[in-house]
Amino acid sequence: MIKTKELGKTVSTSEGDLTILKGIDLEIKKSESVAIVGASGSGKTTLLSLLAGLDTPTTGQIFLGDHEITSLDEEERANVRSALVGFVFQSFQLLASLSAIENVMLPSELSGDSGAEAKARDLLERVGLGHRINHYPRQLSGGEQQRVAIARAFASSVDILFADEPTGNLDTTTGQHVIDLIFELNKEFGTTLVLVTHDQRLADRCDRAIHIATGEIVVPDPVPQVISSSAV
Amino acid sequence: MNVLNLALKLLWRDWRAGELTLLLASLVIAVGTVTTVTLFVDRLQQALVAESATFLAADRVIRSADPIDPEIIAKAESMGLQTAQTLGFASMVFSEDRAQFSSVKAVDGDYPLRGRLIAGDEPFVRGAPVDEGPAPGELWMEARLFPSLDVQPGEMIDVGVASFPVTKVLIKEPDRGGGFSNAGPRVLMNLADVPATEVVQPGSRLSYRYLFAGDWNKLEEFSEWVALKLGPEARIFGVKEGAEGIGEALDRGERFLLLGSLLGVVLAGVAIALAAQRYSLRHYDHVAIMKTLGATPQSVDLIFIAIFVILGTLSTMLGALIGFAMQAGVAEILSPYIPIELPAPTMKPVLLGLVTGFICLLSFALPPLLKLRSIEPVRVIRRDLGDPSISDGLTYGFGVLGTLALMWWYSQDLYLTMMIFSGAVVSLVILFAIAFLMLRSGRVVGMQAGSAWRLALAGMQRRGNENTLQILVFGLAIMLLLILFLVRTALITEWQSQIPEDAPNHFAINISPEDVSPIRSLFDDNGVGSQPLYPMIRGRITTVNGVSASERDKRMGDQRDDAPRSSSGRNLTWSGVLPDDNLIVDGEWWPENYEGPPLVSLEQELAERNQLEVGDELVFTVQGIEIPTQVANIRTVAWDNMQPNFYIIFAPGSLEAFPTTFMTSFFLPKEQKLFLNDLLREYPTMTVIEIDALIEQVQRIIDQVTLAIELVLVLILASGGLVLLASIQASMDERMKQHAILRTLGAGRRLVLGSLLIEFCALGFFAGTLATIGSEITVFMLETEIFELEYSVNPQLWVLGPVVGIVLIGAAGLLATRKVVETPPANVLRELA
Repeated sequence: MIKTKELGKTVSTSEGDLTILKGIDLEIKKSESVAIVGASGSGKTTLLSLLAGLDTPTTGQIFLGDHEITSLDEEERANVRSALVGFVFQSFQLLASLSAIENVMLPSELSGDSGAEAKARDLLERVGLGHRINHYPRQLSGGEQQRVAIARAFASSVDILFADEPTGNLDTTTGQHVIDLIFELNKEFGTTLVLVTHDQRLADRCDRAIHIATGEIVVPDPVPQVISSSAV
Repeated sequence: MNVLNLALKLLWRDWRAGELTLLLASLVIAVGTVTTVTLFVDRLQQALVAESATFLAADRVIRSADPIDPEIIAKAESMGLQTAQTLGFASMVFSEDRAQFSSVKAVDGDYPLRGRLIAGDEPFVRGAPVDEGPAPGELWMEARLFPSLDVQPGEMIDVGVASFPVTKVLIKEPDRGGGFSNAGPRVLMNLADVPATEVVQPGSRLSYRYLFAGDWNKLEEFSEWVALKLGPEARIFGVKEGAEGIGEALDRGERFLLLGSLLGVVLAGVAIALAAQRYSLRHYDHVAIMKTLGATPQSVDLIFIAIFVILGTLSTMLGALIGFAMQAGVAEILSPYIPIELPAPTMKPVLLGLVTGFICLLSFALPPLLKLRSIEPVRVIRRDLGDPSISDGLTYGFGVLGTLALMWWYSQDLYLTMMIFSGAVVSLVILFAIAFLMLRSGRVVGMQAGSAWRLALAGMQRRGNENTLQILVFGLAIMLLLILFLVRTALITEWQSQIPEDAPNHFAINISPEDVSPIRSLFDDNGVGSQPLYPMIRGRITTVNGVSASERDKRMGDQRDDAPRSSSGRNLTWSGVLPDDNLIVDGEWWPENYEGPPLVSLEQELAERNQLEVGDELVFTVQGIEIPTQVANIRTVAWDNMQPNFYIIFAPGSLEAFPTTFMTSFFLPKEQKLFLNDLLREYPTMTVIEIDALIEQVQRIIDQVTLAIELVLVLILASGGLVLLASIQASMDERMKQHAILRTLGAGRRLVLGSLLIEFCALGFFAGTLATIGSEITVFMLETEIFELEYSVNPQLWVLGPVVGIVLIGAAGLLATRKVVETPPANVLRELA
């Protein structure tokens, strides 16, 4: 479903070029759930933006479904995103001027789907917010906002869901609920899930984890048994 | 995807969330102000021209020494124009035992086409407007003629060989005017009676005037057609060419109103640009999220262009409607103060307002919206990304082009447009540099100061670029207002000084030499202020440096239009002292008791157009005798000062031997008008030309133009206020956020308000200072190049500018940001998150 070849990203700074990612080769299969794990500044979020076609690499290729998105322009990449990709962000990224249902309807409206409202209503029911569909983001708690974001991510029947630290702004209990919801819907819709996290417990719930350190994929040191078992 | 549908939804959601309020308000007020100003100016202009037309008793006049081809009148009538005819001549009129030289005007039944005749039944009463002049077989006379001819209303008067009863006293005629053909008190008669008088003989000096009035476009068409038909002895003119003083006042007044509209448009544009910029900024994240959800750049363009079109249509319509209502309100409120009746508004200015609104939108609001297509979707993850990559050059380019196009369209005057535009650009570049330096120096001062000061100045420094831009916008708004204020003041001062209260309002000519000193004593005894009595003698230049003057004229003929020719016959005078208001520009004036070879002084235009210089040898022919002279100096003359003015003045000692008459001008207040009778009875050979009515009329029209200017100034001020508010709003989010954070850290109300106040006052001070510098530069260019006024530095401005800046921006800024201390910081931060 997702494949990269020799993927690299370099940015220019006042102190010279800075390599954020280099030589990333990976492959993620359909319906697989993969965690991208690494310390802050390791390049995991950049990798996610590149995989999702939100940003362009300096070198290498990315294949998303049948599309080689590195050869596409922004217009075409947007079309690919519209057809294939959904997002859940750490900071929710709901539009403040839209109510919960309007936020969930937006992807369907953008892709011209009919029945956007019924679908959105249904999804909000599904994430347990059927009674708050007309509330605005500022009237919702962090967990509720993230649930709206999850409903939005699944609104246009996408093949791949990208999640960037989806529990980063939530307390443990709420975070756990959100994670449960993501995995539940992921299973139900058969989507491929790619999530960025530095939460080992979350990573452990995925089929596998890709570890990034200083911009490269690394094989992690063996995890001490005691932590590993407590996470299960 | 149904873009329109989605755009409508987004628009509605934005509206509901209050995101559109400022943009919509800017658009509506901008279009509203422009429509109001344009409509009002249009109505005022129409009214002023109509009012001024009464000065001619018509919209257009053909003046001719001979009757014109009847085909011309027929053509005018076939075009639906009104016509009337008058004939003027000078003649003696007789009562039973007295005679008086007078200026007779014969009019037909349609006269006057514009303005009213005022007539009374008794001399020296107020009288009432009447619709027509005297009926055939009747005569009207000016009040002053009754005592001088010793007649009563109803008695008979002879004109030529015919006798007529005097049926009314003529108090006022609209086209009285001045000039030598109108010398002497007026007798008004019917045109049909002229043949019976037998006054009109071959060789008589006659002035035929054919009057036309009607639709403006038809008049223009008729004028063009007729100009080709008329011989050299006839010409057609409107009020602007017909009345020198009024034409100039109207011209300058119109230019000012135009300038006002132009500045109004620029101010409106700036307000729209700022509001659109803010709208666009607040949608960066919005668009980034939409893009992650699959919105393509093209669909972003389509959505926001659709929003733009819907918004633009709504706001321009609403603005035009408000503008229409507002100007009606303004006209209604001001009607007691406007001494003229305003004609009904036309649709043209409404259309102008609509088109202006859309051009403003295209050039000022569209560019920031188009930026949105370039927002990178990765922004949702990396919030630190700056502005999208679309260049500011493009954004400003749109604005510059739009402004230029609008200015040109409004003024129809490329020179005026380029003048203001280049002045503004040069000023802006200089000002930008100064603003930046000011901000840096503010930081240095701030480091030594208390906490509120340090906070304020450090904040200003940190947002250096935004603040420099904001100072420029504030400065620009204040500068435009100052420019308008300064030009208005200069214009009004100029007009007031042009015709002072006690300016001479009568000319006396044909005074014989022996009457000079008794007349002077008579003036003194009656307390009449008069100018010196100048001798006046006809003569002409025959050779210039040995070359025939008429040959030279022919040679130079092509390059000159209506310039004074050197070989024409002129009134010459001599004087030991330089007349008032004359300035020597080359050479030197001679001593008062000069004795030596003949010298002459030439007026500047005469000298320049005929390429005459100091030291040139001129030979004059006066009464058949040749006088060789040398040009001693060149001088300027204030032609509009209502005093005897001469193109050529001789030094004492050359002309005294010739028989000559004298002339002077004097001021006679209305209540002393009867003094003229005594004067003329005692000195019957002299002629008095009364220009008091003319002066009064000029003054009234100037008063009206002045009022129009003041009104437009007030409207533009309102527009300027809007720019200030929009500009403060545009930078509000950043300030609110910073101060909300400070509040969470425990900063007290005093500190936050204090630092906000200092920041806005400092911005105001910088902006005011910049505005002062900018307006001095632009006003210098405008006054010297466009309004042809004398420029002088305005010291009060250097205090006024910064003070206005501090007060306006300090107050508006504080008012707009006070919310930050009244709202819990968490709410502010949540809203801006």
